[in-house]
Amino acid sequence: MDLALRALNRFGLGARPGERRAISDSRGWLKAQLDGGAPSFPSTETPSAVAIGDALRRLRQPGQKSEQERREARRGVVDLAGAEARSGLEARIGSDRPFVERLVAFWSNHLCVSAAAKILVAPLAGSYERAVIRPHVLGRFEDMVLASAKHPAMLAYLDNFQSIGPSSPGARATQRNGGARRGLNENYARELLELHTLGVTGGYTQEDVQALARILTGWTIDGIGGPGSRFAPGGPPRPGRGGTGVVRRVRTEQGGAIGFAFREMLHEPGTKTLLKARYDEEGLAEGEHAVRALCRHPSTAQFVAAKLASHFVSDDPPAAAVDRLARAFRSSDGDLKVMARALVDEPEAWRDDARKFRTPQDWFVAVMRAFGSNEVSPNAPALLRQLRQPLWSPPSPKGFGDAMQEWADPDSLLNRGELSRTLSRLPSLGALEPGSLLDVVDVPSANPLHALVADTSIPARERVALVIAGPAFQWR
Amino acid sequence: MNRRVFVRNMCYGGIATCVLPNVSFAQVEQPGRFVFVLLRGGFDGLAAVVPYGDTDYRALRGSFAFSEAELTPLDATFALAPGLAPLRVLWDANELAVLHAMAIPHRTRSHFDGQAILETGLDRPVGASDGWLNRLLQVMSGRRAGIAIAAGMPLSLTGAYEVESWSPAKLGVVDDTFLERLAVLYRADAALHGRFEAALQQQDLVGEEPMARGNARRGGITPLMQAAARILRQDRGPNIAAMEFSGWDTHANQGMAGGALDRLLGQLAEGLVAFRADMGAAWQTTTVVVMTEFGRTARPNGTRGTDHGTAGAGFVLGPELSRSLVVSDWPGLAESALYEGRDLKPTLDTRAVLKAALAGTFDLTATQLDRIFPNSGGVRAPAGLMG
Repeated sequence: MDLALRALNRFGLGARPGERRAISDSRGWLKAQLDGGAPSFPSTETPSAVAIGDALRRLRQPGQKSEQERREARRGVVDLAGAEARSGLEARIGSDRPFVERLVAFWSNHLCVSAAAKILVAPLAGSYERAVIRPHVLGRFEDMVLASAKHPAMLAYLDNFQSIGPSSPGARATQRNGGARRGLNENYARELLELHTLGVTGGYTQEDVQALARILTGWTIDGIGGPGSRFAPGGPPRPGRGGTGVVRRVRTEQGGAIGFAFREMLHEPGTKTLLKARYDEEGLAEGEHAVRALCRHPSTAQFVAAKLASHFVSDDPPAAAVDRLARAFRSSDGDLKVMARALVDEPEAWRDDARKFRTPQDWFVAVMRAFGSNEVSPNAPALLRQLRQPLWSPPSPKGFGDAMQEWADPDSLLNRGELSRTLSRLPSLGALEPGSLLDVVDVPSANPLHALVADTSIPARERVALVIAGPAFQWR
Repeated sequence: MNRRVFVRNMCYGGIATCVLPNVSFAQVEQPGRFVFVLLRGGFDGLAAVVPYGDTDYRALRGSFAFSEAELTPLDATFALAPGLAPLRVLWDANELAVLHAMAIPHRTRSHFDGQAILETGLDRPVGASDGWLNRLLQVMSGRRAGIAIAAGMPLSLTGAYEVESWSPAKLGVVDDTFLERLAVLYRADAALHGRFEAALQQQDLVGEEPMARGNARRGGITPLMQAAARILRQDRGPNIAAMEFSGWDTHANQGMAGGALDRLLGQLAEGLVAFRADMGAAWQTTTVVVMTEFGRTARPNGTRGTDHGTAGAGFVLGPELSRSLVVSDWPGLAESALYEGRDLKPTLDTRAVLKAALAGTFDLTATQLDRIFPNSGGVRAPAGLMG
C-alpha cells in the first residue's frame, strides 16, 4: 500500500497527478493541514442573509400573485440554491487542505439539513455549511451543534421554527382569539438526541424528547413571516396580557436578514427535566445549557467516535479504534481538532485491508481533482442527482451513509461506468494523458489496468474513462 | 457485438476467469412472485384506514376526523381514506387485506431503527444483519432472483445472495466494447466483480426497455410500479422485488381530503392498481405487501401534522389471499387504550403478516420461515389471511 495515496485518498478528497511524490511524511502532511484556523471559503460571491430573506419572502407572500410571478419567485430561490451548491462543490474540488475539507463534508453530513426536503431550506443550505460547520470544524463540537440549532436552515428543516409551547403566552392568546390550536413539534428534539448527539441507544426516553422539545420552544426564524413575526400577514405581535413579544435577535444584520430569533411569548414556561437534570425557566439560556449538556453526555462521545471511525477506518471499525476516539473526545471536551489528530494517529485507518468505497460525491470530487480541474461543470448538480447523492440533499435527517452496502449496488456501478464516459469528454479536460491517472490509484503492476491504459489502440478519452470507472478508483 | 450475445459469451463462454454470479435467470419457470413495498417515513395509518366506526374516533382526531361521506367503507368500523378509493376495485375482487394496529416487534419511534427492524426481519435493532428478502432468496437458492426496483439497494435485499437493482435514473446505454473492457477490470476486484456482472445481466434483461425507463423517470409512484410490472411479469426474470417510496413523515400540514398526505395515498393506490393491470396473467400468482416502520401519534400535533407513533396500517394485495378482509385485533381509541397515552396500541406483529404472505405465495416449511425471521417461532400467522 502506498501511504501517500492513502493520505490523499482516504483522508483527503482524492489525489491530483504528481501529488503523491511531493509527500514524504503522510501523517505530517495531514496534521499540517490542521493548522491555520478555520477553512476559508473560496467563493466571494455568496448571497447575503438579506438576499436569501428577500428571495424567500417573495416566495411566501400570500395571495394575489399571478402564476408567472409565483414561477419567478420559485426560480429565484432555486437559482440561489444552485449557485450555492456549485460554490460548495468548488470548495471541495479546489481545496488545498483536502483533509480539513473532508472534515467539513463529514460534519455537514452529520448535522445535515436537506435542500431537497423543503423549498425553505434550499437557499439556506450553503449558508448553513459556511456559518455552522466551517467556523467550528477545528473547534468544539458543542459550539457547532449550538450554531446548528440556531441556524434558520435547521430550524426550518426539522420544524422547530413552528413548534410552540402549548402553555406559552402566544399559544394562549391565539386560542383566546379563536385561532387554531398550535403546539409542540418534537421532530428536531428527537433528531438532536438520536442523530446529532447521544445516538439512538444513548439512553433517553420519550419523556426526554418531549422535555427537550419544550425547552427549545421559541427558537424560531426571524424574517420569513413565521408565527408572531414582523412579516406575518397579521403584522407584528402586539404586547398583550399574556406577555410581551420579546425578540432577541442574534444576528444584527439589517432589517431583511433571515436569522435566528428567540421568542419568549412562544416559549413553554416552567421547569423541565431532561435526562434526569432539572432545567429552571431561563428562556433562551435554558436551551443553550441543554444543548451543551447533550454534547457532553458520555453517549455522545461514543456515538460520534463510532461514526468518525466508520468514515475514516472501515464500514465495520474495530471496537478498539472506536474506544480510542471516544476517549479523545471525552478528554478534550469534544475538541474537533484533537479528534482530527486522533484519526491520523489511528493505526487501524492505515491498515492495508481497511478499504472504504467512495460515495458518489467522493467519487465525483476525486475525478475532478484527478483531472486537475478547479472548476465545476454546470451539470455537476444534475450528475450528483443521477448518482443519488446531490449536495446537501440527503433523503432523511440521518444524512447520507458512507458504507459500501449503500452505494455499490450493481445499478450504481453501471451508472458510474456510463458517467465516466460523459466526464472523460468534458471539453475543459484538454489533452489529458491517460497514463498520468495511474498516479492517483493504488494498483499493483499485475493489474489489467496498466495494460489497458498503455494500449494506444484505444482512444485516449476512453482510457481516461476506464481509469475512473474501474474498481481501483472506486475505493479510497 | 450485441449486448445479449456479449453477456452470454462472457458468462457461459470460454472465459475461464468468469465466475458466474449467484443470479439465476434461466431456471425453470416459477409461478410465485412477491413484492415488498416499504413506505419510508412512517405513514399515518389512522389517516389511511380510517376507524370511522370507533366511538372515540372523532373526539381523538378532532380536526383530522373525516366525514363519513368522504370515505370508502370496508365494514362497520373501517373505511379507506379518500385517496385510497381506487383500491375499492381490489377489495371487490377479494384481492385486498387491510392490516391495522400493526407494528414491528420492537418499540421505537426512530425512523432508522424502525426501518432496520422491518427490513432485517429481526425483533430488535442490531448492528449488522442481512435483510429478510435476501434470506428468503437464500433458503430458496437456485430457484429465485431478487431485484431492487429502487435507487440503491434497500437493506431488506442486502446479504450474501447476489441480487440485481434497477432504477430509472440510468443515463443511457454504454457501448458494449467499453463494458467489456470494464468487465476485465472488475474481474480483478474480488469484492466488486459479482456485483458488476449482475449489473450486466440486468442490463441484458431490461436494458432494452427504453419505454419503461423513460416513463419511470418522469417520477411518481405509478410509472415506477408499471416499470416494476414489466420486469416482474417476464417468465425468466426476477420474481422477488423490493420497492420503496418516501414522503410519509408528515410532521406538519398533512392535510385532509386532497391534502398532502391524501394525494400521496392517491398515488400509491393508483400505482398499485396500475401494477395489477400491467402484470397481466402473472398477477394471478403475485403477492404485494405494503408496510411502514411505524404509525404516528393518534392525535394531531401542534403543527397540523402528526409525530412518530407506534402501531399503524398496512396492506396485502393479490389473488393468493383467501378473500378481502380487515385483519385487526382492534385495541380501540379510548384514552386508556392508547399506547403510552398517545399512539395506537400494537396488537399485530409485522412478521406474522409477512410469514403468512410468504407461505401463501411460495412452498416454504416452518423451518425455512423461521430462518427468514429468526426468533419468530412464537409469532402466529393471522387466521384466514391467505387462501
